[in-house]
Amino acid sequence: MALPNPALTQIPDSYKYGWSDPEATHLNIARKGLSAEIVEEISRFKGEPEWMTKLRLKAYRHFEARPMPNWGADLSAIDFQDIYYYIAPTDKAVQSWDDVPDYIRRTYDKLGIPEAEKKYLAGVGGQYDSEVVYHNIREDLEKQGVIFLGTDEALKKHPDIFLEHFGTVIPANDNKLAALNTAVWSGGSFIYVPPGVHVELPLQAYFRINTENMGQFERTLIIADEGSSVHYVEGCTAPTYSTASLHSAVVEIIVKKGARVRYTTIQNWSHNVYNLVTKRAVAHEDAVMEWVDGNLGSRVTMKYPSIYLVGERAHGEVLSIAFAGDEQHQDAGGKVIHAAPHTTSLITSKSISKGSGRTSYRGLVKVYPGCEKSKSTVRCDALILDEEARSDTYPYMEIDEEDVTIGHEATVSKVGSEQLFYLMSRGLSEAEAAAMIVNGFIEPIVKELPMEYAVEMNRLIQLQMEGAVG
Amino acid sequence: MTALERATGGFVAVARVGDVQPGTVRVVEVDGRSLCLGLTEDGEWGAIDNICTHDGGTLGEGELDDSAVECPRHGGRFDLFTGRVLALPPVRPVTAYETEVDGDEVLVRIGSA
Amino acid sequence: MTTATTAISLDAAAIADISKQRDEPDWLRDLRAAWWERASSTPPPTGQEEEWRRTDLAALPRDGRLLADAPRLDISGVAESGVILTDLRTAVAEHPELVRRYLGQGEPQASHAHFWALAQAAWTGGLFCYVPKGAHVDGTLVARTALPASDVTYLPVSLVVAEEDSSVSLLQQVTSPDGAAGWFGGIVEIIAGEGAEVRFANLQQLGDETWNIGAQRVVVGRDAHVTTLDAEVGSRITKVGLDAEMAGKGGTSKLLGLLAAGDDQHIDINAHQVLAADYTTSDLLYLSALYDRARAAFYGVTLVEQGTRQTSSYQECRNLLLSPNAGAEPIPVLEIKANDILRCGHGATAGAIDPIQLFYAQTRGLDPDAAERMIVRGFFEQVVSQIHDETIRAEVLTALAGRIGFADEDAA
Repeated sequence: MALPNPALTQIPDSYKYGWSDPEATHLNIARKGLSAEIVEEISRFKGEPEWMTKLRLKAYRHFEARPMPNWGADLSAIDFQDIYYYIAPTDKAVQSWDDVPDYIRRTYDKLGIPEAEKKYLAGVGGQYDSEVVYHNIREDLEKQGVIFLGTDEALKKHPDIFLEHFGTVIPANDNKLAALNTAVWSGGSFIYVPPGVHVELPLQAYFRINTENMGQFERTLIIADEGSSVHYVEGCTAPTYSTASLHSAVVEIIVKKGARVRYTTIQNWSHNVYNLVTKRAVAHEDAVMEWVDGNLGSRVTMKYPSIYLVGERAHGEVLSIAFAGDEQHQDAGGKVIHAAPHTTSLITSKSISKGSGRTSYRGLVKVYPGCEKSKSTVRCDALILDEEARSDTYPYMEIDEEDVTIGHEATVSKVGSEQLFYLMSRGLSEAEAAAMIVNGFIEPIVKELPMEYAVEMNRLIQLQMEGAVG
Repeated sequence: MTALERATGGFVAVARVGDVQPGTVRVVEVDGRSLCLGLTEDGEWGAIDNICTHDGGTLGEGELDDSAVECPRHGGRFDLFTGRVLALPPVRPVTAYETEVDGDEVLVRIGSA
Repeated sequence: MTTATTAISLDAAAIADISKQRDEPDWLRDLRAAWWERASSTPPPTGQEEEWRRTDLAALPRDGRLLADAPRLDISGVAESGVILTDLRTAVAEHPELVRRYLGQGEPQASHAHFWALAQAAWTGGLFCYVPKGAHVDGTLVARTALPASDVTYLPVSLVVAEEDSSVSLLQQVTSPDGAAGWFGGIVEIIAGEGAEVRFANLQQLGDETWNIGAQRVVVGRDAHVTTLDAEVGSRITKVGLDAEMAGKGGTSKLLGLLAAGDDQHIDINAHQVLAADYTTSDLLYLSALYDRARAAFYGVTLVEQGTRQTSSYQECRNLLLSPNAGAEPIPVLEIKANDILRCGHGATAGAIDPIQLFYAQTRGLDPDAAERMIVRGFFEQVVSQIHDETIRAEVLTALAGRIGFADEDAA
C-alpha cells in the first residue's frame, strides 16, 4: 500500500528495521490507572521544566473535577483506571502477528500492503527506521528555519515558543478530555513556520520518527507565523491496530496574519478504540485555516475541529467525511466562531452509515455581535445504506449580528434504486455499483486529500461496500 | 487620597489590603457591578469585570497565574491589568479598571473623572 | 362579566374543587386527578434540558390567579348540522360521550409534559370542535378569546376532532391586554381520522408582558392531511412545543409558523416531527422577522423511525434580522433511523435583508422603511402562499401588520 509518504517507495528492500532501545529499563509508571503521582512521574521521567509539571498537575485536578459529557456518543464503557497512561514504546507493541484482528489482516491483503508495512501498521515488532528519509527532509526544513519536531523534543529545545503558545487555544480546563490530555500528554508534533515561509511538501506525522507515532495522548502545536503556509497530514486510511482503547489527542493551531494552514487527518483506528479529540485553530487577520477530517475507524469518535476567526477577513473551512459500519458511532462535525467582521466559513460534511453504524453531525456556527458582513455556509449530507443504520444532524447556530448571511442545509438519503439499476445494467455488481455511488458522494472532499490518501480511500470504501472486510 | 479626590477621580474602595491573598482573585461587588479583584505574587493589584465573555463564568472564583486570570468554567484567560484575552475560548476582552492602594484600602476606578 | 378568580396554589384539592363547582361527571373529575398526578410527578424543566436551555423559566408568574370562569368564547361560522364548535365546558355538559372519548387521552411531547399535564388537570375553559364522519365544513370556523386582564393565569384546552373523511378549517385567536405579567398556557390537540383534512391556525396576540407556554399535538391518521399555522405576534416570552405524530400510513402534515417580534420579546419554539409509518410526509417551515432586541430560538427534531419506508420530511427555519440587537438560534435536528427515505432534509438561515434587494426597492421610489416592509412581506410569502383559507390569511396578515406593516395588496 502507499503509506502516506511517496519517498518511502525509494527505500531499498535490504533495509531492516530494528528495535529502538527503551530509554529506561524499568518504568514503574508502566502500570494502569491515573493519579497525581503518576502524572508527576511522567513529567519527571521526561525531564520536563517545572512549569510543565505544574501545568500537568493542575490539569489533572480539572480532569478529576469535571463530569463526563452527557451528550454525544455513549462513553459509559470507558474506565479511566483501566488504562496505561504512559507506555514505553516496546511495551505497547502487540506481541505477535496472530494477535492482530482478522479483519485488519485481511484488509492489508486486499490493499496489497507489503509484509513489512503491515507489521508496522499493526504495531507488531519493531518500528520503521525512516531516519534515512526523514533526515533529508529535515535538512531542507532547517534551511528554511522551519521547526518540525516531536512535541517532547520541542519543549526542551524551544521552551520560549512553547511557553508563549501552549494552552492558549485549548486551555487545560476546556473540557474533561482536554484536561486529561494536558495531564498525561506524550508525543505529537510541534511545527513552527517563520514569517513568509511556504512549506511546499506536506509535513507528515510519519516523518517524525519512531516512538510515539501512534500515541494515545498526542499533543500537537502548530504555529504559522505571518504570511507563511504549511500543510500537515496525519493518519492513514488502512486500519491501524491499537491495543490502547482510549485515544485522546489535543491539537492547537495558531494561524497568524495572512498565513495559511491545512491540517488533514484520516483516522481508521481498530474497532476497540474510543477516539475523543479536541482540535482547535485560531485564525487572525486575512488568515486561512482548513481542517480536512476523515473518520473511518474506531468504535466511537467524538471530534469537532474548530476555528475561531478573530481577525478581519479570516476564512475557515471544515471538510469532514465520516463512515460508520457495524457497531461504530462517528460523532463528528465542525465549529466555527466568527469574532471579527468580514469573516467567512464553510463546513461541508459527508457521512455514510452502514450495517448498524451511526453517524452524527454535530456543529456550531456562532456569530458574535459586531461581526458585520460575515458569511457562513454549512452543508451536511448523509447517506444511510442499510435498514439498521442511523444518521443524526445537530446543527447549532447562535447568530447575534444582523448584517450577516448564515445558512445551513442538510439532506439525508439512501442510494437511489434508479442509480443502482443504471450502473448494474452497465455490468457492475450491486456492491460495485454501490461503491461507485458512495465514492461519488464523498468525491468533493476526497479530491482535497493528498493523492495517495484519495486512492486508498476509494479502495477502502469499495472493500467496505463489498462486505469483504469488517 | 482625600475623599474629594476619590470622588472626583471616580475611585471606590472595594476591599482591605489583607482581604486578598497574593496570587489569588476574588469577587467584589461595588456600585451594582460585580468585579474580579486580584493581587499578584509580586504585590500588584488589578481589577476586571467578573463575568467571562465566553459563557458567563465567574472570573473571581477562578485562579490567578502570574497576571493571568483563569475562568473556572472552561479555562479561558484574561490579563488582570488590561482585560485582554490570553487564552481561548473567550474572544472578547473584559473591561479592566484602574486600581490604587490608599492606606489599607484597595480602590478601583469605577466612574470617570 | 365578572372575573371570578381562585387563588391558585395548584393542588389536588383545588383541582377537585373545579370539578365540584361545575358539577362535572365523575370521569372528568378522575381524568383531572390523573393528570394532576402526572403534573406533580413530572417536574418542570430545570433549564439543563436541550429544549429549555434558551428560555429561563425563573420569572414565570406561577402564583397568579387562575381564571375560574373562562372568558366567553366568541364563535362564528358554524352552519352544518352535526358539526360542533363550543367552549369546552359547554361541550362536557352537552356532548359528554364525545368529549370523554377524546379529551386527555394522548401522550404529550416529553419536553413539554409538565405543562401539558397542568393544563389537562386545571383547565377552566377551552374549545371543542368536532366534525362527524364525511362532513365537509364550508368556510372558516373562528373562535376568539379575549382575556379580561393581563395578570391572570389561564390554561385552556382546545380539542379538535375530525372524523373519517371530514374536512374543516378552524382559526383560533387569543388576545389579552398589555400591562402586568400573566401566564397563558393553552394547549391544542388535533386528531385527524382516516382521510380527514384539517386546517388549523393559532393566532397569538397576547399582551406585552404575558408569558405564553403552549403546546400543540397533532395526530395524523391514515391518508389524513393536517396543516397548522402558528402565528406568534404578542407576548413577552413565548415557549411553544409542537408535536406532529405521523402514525397513519400516507398521512401528511405541514407545520407553518410566522413570527414577527420586536422590543424585548423572546420566542422559543420546539418542534417534534415523528414519522412512524410508511409513506408519511411532514414538512415544517418557520419564518421570523426580528426587530429591536427580539430573539428567536428554534430547536426542532425530525425523527424517522426504524423500519419505515418512503417517508418525506423537510424542516426549515429562516430568520430575518432587522436590527443590530436582534438575535436568532435556529437548530433543526435530524434523527434518522431508517434508510428507505424518499426525501429528508433541513435548512436554517439567519441574516439581514440582502442589501441589493433593499437598494433595488428604493430605486423604485420606496423610502427605506417602506422598502424594508415590502421585503419582509415578500419573505413571509413563502408561508402566506401556503395558507389557502382566505379568512385565515387575512386575519394573520392583519395581526402581523402591527410589526411588519401592510403590503398594498393585503390592505385591500
